[in-house]
Amino acid sequence: MSALSVILVFLGYFLLLSFLGTAAEYIDRKLYARMQNRIGPPWFQPYADLIKLAAKEDLIPEEANSAMFKFMPVLAMTAVLTAYLHIPLWNSTPLISFNGSIIVIVYLLTIPTLTFFLGGWHSTSLYSMIGAVRTLTQLFAYEVPLLLAVLSPAVLAHTWSIADMSEFYSNNPLYALTNSIGFLVALVALQGKLERVPFDMPEAETEIVGGTFTEYSGRLLAMFRLAIDMEVIVGASLIAAVFLPFGLHFGLVIGVILYLIKILFILLLLALLRTVTARLRIEQMVVFCWKYLAPAALAQIFISLTLNWIVK
Amino acid sequence: MSLLSKIVTWARIKSPWIIHFNSGACNACDIEIVASLTPRFDIERFGIILKGTPRHADVLVCSGPVTRQIKDRLIRIYEQMPEPKFVVAVGTCSCSGGVFQGCYNVCGGIDTVIPVSAYIPGCPASPAAIIDGVAKLLGSLQGKKPGEKADIEAIERKLLEAEITTNG
Repeated sequence: MSALSVILVFLGYFLLLSFLGTAAEYIDRKLYARMQNRIGPPWFQPYADLIKLAAKEDLIPEEANSAMFKFMPVLAMTAVLTAYLHIPLWNSTPLISFNGSIIVIVYLLTIPTLTFFLGGWHSTSLYSMIGAVRTLTQLFAYEVPLLLAVLSPAVLAHTWSIADMSEFYSNNPLYALTNSIGFLVALVALQGKLERVPFDMPEAETEIVGGTFTEYSGRLLAMFRLAIDMEVIVGASLIAAVFLPFGLHFGLVIGVILYLIKILFILLLLALLRTVTARLRIEQMVVFCWKYLAPAALAQIFISLTLNWIVK
Repeated sequence: MSLLSKIVTWARIKSPWIIHFNSGACNACDIEIVASLTPRFDIERFGIILKGTPRHADVLVCSGPVTRQIKDRLIRIYEQMPEPKFVVAVGTCSCSGGVFQGCYNVCGGIDTVIPVSAYIPGCPASPAAIIDGVAKLLGSLQGKKPGEKADIEAIERKLLEAEITTNG
């Protein structure tokens, strides 16, 4: 591929992902509102928020490291977008595919969390520092269960490439059903990764003002918001590709419709989880992740290994 | 108005994020403000979200007269908000000082310290009155040129003429 086509592909994916991300934010907020017996925001709400933030004044604290402060939102968006290039959407072949891509995706999805930490840390505000430290503490809690849950289907499929995994599971759909524990673990861990209720301690506005994003305003905050919206879609696509690899051989139109249905289903589950729970304390979250989530993910790996052994 | 500035004004009207600040109220107005944020009134319909930090907020919702103790903090919170920003005074005390007018420890209404865009009288102002006041403030934005600093005095005059006294 020439440099120009790479840039065009990246730009196209950026537009696609921003559109899907803002749509996901709207759907999430609307579902949340309907579950609380409210009407909820209109469809253009995410766009209004982003445009308004983009037109606002950018304030950078005097004490803050201005270069890091400005660079972090861009890095967060880039990392999320790069992860999206590796995930299969409507068929089993992503744009970039190689053996080991699933590990690369999970680690690319760690970068936004690190940018939240660094952005909060370099704001040098007390609240954002507390939020930043909580972000990192949380990362150590949900990252291991998420990695284990996403890797156990790979153990069963005998490959580290997400394309080959999708291929394997769409040829043997019954095997995908054995990964249901991992699916639930990955959903809960994704909720932690996206820093949503019940795992929204890093931005708990009732206790630490705005958490990591306390000092962010205007365009930079808009970029962070867009990055988080995109991360929702990328996380949901990852889970859909790994745990729901059904109907990948029906061509473009049906494939895209099925992809959107899968994403909607995962968004519904995430919104439901957000509605029925309240915020945990940070140590409760760490205990929950290591006491229940990590063993569940290990059980999933055990199931995969046993199946491997039986089938062989 | 060019197309871009029209879009920006539209976005500002559709997405006001508020921050609530008690500048010395008796808590009655605060309870009403919090009540207006509940699912019963569902102000997310209008895009209104309560934010914890002044950096994210567009509208500063103040309640109560400004006491001498809180004056510096109020100014600091106001200055931490990025432009364009608006201030809404909720309750009779924050509009004029109310029954605390002339007290040794009270400066007076919010407008003695920072510029105010909308006054919502009432003791306490009801949630419906608060939501109506904020909606009217946003409606008044449509006439002014965006991108520039808000001509708060003009909005003030306009709002005073309109007399937002929908206290019910």
